[in-house]
Amino acid sequence: MARATLSTDVFRAIADPTRRAILDRLRAGPANAGALAADFRSSRPAVSRHLRVLRNARLVIDTRVGRERLYAVDPVPLQQVAGWLEGYRLFWLDSLNRLKRNLEDT
Amino acid sequence: MSKLRQAAEAVADQAKGQILAHVEIAASPERVFQALASKEVCDWWVRPGVFNTTEWSGDVRVGGRYRTKGIARGKPYAIEGEFLEIDPPRKLVMTWQRAGASDQPTVITFTLEKLDGGTRLMLRHTGFTSAENLTNVAAGWKTSLDKLASAGGG
Repeated sequence: MARATLSTDVFRAIADPTRRAILDRLRAGPANAGALAADFRSSRPAVSRHLRVLRNARLVIDTRVGRERLYAVDPVPLQQVAGWLEGYRLFWLDSLNRLKRNLEDT
Repeated sequence: MSKLRQAAEAVADQAKGQILAHVEIAASPERVFQALASKEVCDWWVRPGVFNTTEWSGDVRVGGRYRTKGIARGKPYAIEGEFLEIDPPRKLVMTWQRAGASDQPTVITFTLEKLDGGTRLMLRHTGFTSAENLTNVAAGWKTSLDKLASAGGG
């Protein structure tokens, strides 16, 4: 499991529901801060603050395109979060299959 | 009873911080329920070479507690929790946490559905990415969670 390599910044960043919503929105495609502020009916400075936290946690990457800055999801840290849950998933997968085997063999 | 073909399936729902799993078992709901909260846990919370549950004790009533001990990757571990809802043979809800940990326990809900010739057992294990949990991780409790996670195999 990849959990040991997880940065605490990632957990802090995704602990906030608005930032999780921004990540979900960015999964659909890159966007600039203005478009995100409109989508979330939020002020542009508030969205910019969330984007800064996400960027510091390396959950989003920003690229300058002409005069605007486009934000996109970096999938790698999120896959590490999934890796943390993966241990529990395997625990239950194995355990339930064993339960099935035990009860059907007797 | 003939064997139901459906093997277990389990998914990690990252957005909600939960594990969802289900399995079909060619045994009655009463028989399956009995295995969920009894010493039989030692027979199925097992993955050879990864983890092995060796002891289970519990006071099976709402508000009662259970405790398991075992070995995960060569190291001893203990899991404990409280029974929140007991409705045999349909539903069992209990908390789950590493023994002695002060973090918010996660919650396991087993739901049993009678099938023709068996039972569909559904499991929902929630509470993994609550803001509180994540903040605790950020506060440096990652080690204890890591131990619990490795107790979970993988």
